[in-house]
Amino acid sequence: MTVDAARRRTIWQIALLAAGFAILVAISTASIYLVNRARTDASWVVHTVEVENQISLAQLQMRRAESAIRGYLLTEQDVYASDFEEAQKQLEPSLEKLRSLTVDNPEQIDSLNELIPATKQRFVEFRRALDLGRAGKFAEAKEFLKSGVGREGMSRIRDIAADMRVEEDRLFKMRTNAADHSQSLAAIVTTTGSGLVIALAAISIFLVRRSARARDDAEQELREANLNLEARVDERTMDLREANEEIQRFAYIVSHDLRSPLVNIMGFTSELEELRTDIFSRIARYSRAASAVPAIPEPIGDTNPADAPELQSEDKQLSQEFSEALGFIKSSIGKMDRLISAILNLTREGRREFHPVKIDTRELIETIISSVAHQASEANAQIRIEPLPNIVSDRLALEQVFSNLIDNALKYLRPDVPGDILIKGRHKLGFAIFEIIDNGRGIDPKDHTRIFDLFRRAGVQDRKGQGIGLAHVRALVRRMGGTINVSSELHKGSTFTITLPAQWTFGTQGKQT
Amino acid sequence: MSLPVKIIMIEDDEGHARLIERNIRRSGVNNEIVPFANGTDAMKYLFGSDGTGAEHKDQALLILLDLNLPDMTGIDILKRIKENKHVKCAPVVVLTTTDDEQEIKRCYELGCNVYITKPVNYENFANAIRQLGLFFSVIKVPQTST
Repeated sequence: MTVDAARRRTIWQIALLAAGFAILVAISTASIYLVNRARTDASWVVHTVEVENQISLAQLQMRRAESAIRGYLLTEQDVYASDFEEAQKQLEPSLEKLRSLTVDNPEQIDSLNELIPATKQRFVEFRRALDLGRAGKFAEAKEFLKSGVGREGMSRIRDIAADMRVEEDRLFKMRTNAADHSQSLAAIVTTTGSGLVIALAAISIFLVRRSARARDDAEQELREANLNLEARVDERTMDLREANEEIQRFAYIVSHDLRSPLVNIMGFTSELEELRTDIFSRIARYSRAASAVPAIPEPIGDTNPADAPELQSEDKQLSQEFSEALGFIKSSIGKMDRLISAILNLTREGRREFHPVKIDTRELIETIISSVAHQASEANAQIRIEPLPNIVSDRLALEQVFSNLIDNALKYLRPDVPGDILIKGRHKLGFAIFEIIDNGRGIDPKDHTRIFDLFRRAGVQDRKGQGIGLAHVRALVRRMGGTINVSSELHKGSTFTITLPAQWTFGTQGKQT
Repeated sequence: MSLPVKIIMIEDDEGHARLIERNIRRSGVNNEIVPFANGTDAMKYLFGSDGTGAEHKDQALLILLDLNLPDMTGIDILKRIKENKHVKCAPVVVLTTTDDEQEIKRCYELGCNVYITKPVNYENFANAIRQLGLFFSVIKVPQTST
């Protein structure tokens, strides 16, 4: 899984979540709005019903008043008169209410403006009839009602009321429709929104699942990688060890095979030397014979230059050049032989198996010091030992390391200053750190790495040596799982610091097959 | 020498062979020296065409053996010699450049009689071979068993 894909997926998820949230908000807003609208519509419907009701009530009071008047005139009883009064009293607020309810509708207001004077007119007629009745003129009152003045008014009132009712019916229908519409709209919005949210949720779940699976895969991979890591490290270590062994075998074989031709070169050079002696003694004899000096018979082969007859000066020159050439060849061969031996010894050391044992470091170093005591007194040097940590390591290797370093310290002292060599040590985090400090001639910082290389030396070359000691020391220290460092300045002395594991078991470098 | 001891020299380096022969002669040993430059020829000679070594019965042999041969190691030859009933009594002198202790130990375990390292220093080399020659002139070599 690439990083790009992961980032894309994250962006997708965030976008989906945002979209889901936005849709939810939209649905909520729309729902609130629509519910409010539905409520308003419903209240308008109720309003219409109320108006119709009031119209009916007003008409009812009218009828009641009319019938009360008629009853009074027929029976001449006062009960009907008070009934009429009652109806008139109730009609007034009913009409008022109707007026206040219909202020929103100009059509209804017009109708009402017609209705109210008509009603009032009608009541004036009723009151006149009643007043006639009270005055005892019932016949006249009946006549007044019969005259038909009132019937016309009454039918007008009925028409107007019917118109108003029609108008309200129309409004009722319209408002009911609007309320229905609002409600169904709200239902649609809610359903669609819910559907969308569910779809988004499904996509989100799918994405989350997928990234969870990717994460699980990655985790699995990581776990396997961790498990493999150990194995891989082992494998690499093994490879390195094999490579190291191969190099050592190679060095051994090469140096060994180099020796064989060297034996020939050395052998035949020596043979040539013998031949030279023979040749020049013969030359001497012949030249003497040529100059007519009586020859003394010389045994061939067993002559040496000292007993050989006098050579002529030219021949002497030749003989000397011959000897010089042979001398150079032989000294070079000798040097080469020593170098090859050194390599052989180093590889042999590399092949030796190490055995970690508990070592009393102080005792080990004291033994070394006692073996170099003569050298030390000749060099006018003292060697001091501070308390040292004991370690578990290979005894022989440790001995070689310290004896090489102490030897070097004694070898490279300054002639004008009494030598002072200090060996000290301490424990630190499972490692033992040893320091060999001298006040000798020191080493130029630019040579600090060089001196650990094979056949490389530094400083004034006035001491014997092949440039092997420190290379050997470093190889040993490394095999014991440690490191070696030098800090030094010219004419100020040197400090060699060795860090070794306090408890060395067969580590990566020490284990040999 | 009372017996006509044949010296078998198995040495791949001609120069070494020449130097060895010269120094043996200088020590006064005049026995026949049969040189071989590789292991195969030497084996063929030692064990015959049938590989039994019966050809050399009633002969006194002394074997000079180099360990580093082009076609096989001297140790293989040594092993074959010491396993063969006819030639196993012949003294074997291992003369080689190797001074590895493991190698030396192995040769003696396999039955070599003398192990000599060729020194690069010619004086030492010549000395060693001459002394070996002197040694040859005094030792008794058994006839190969019948």
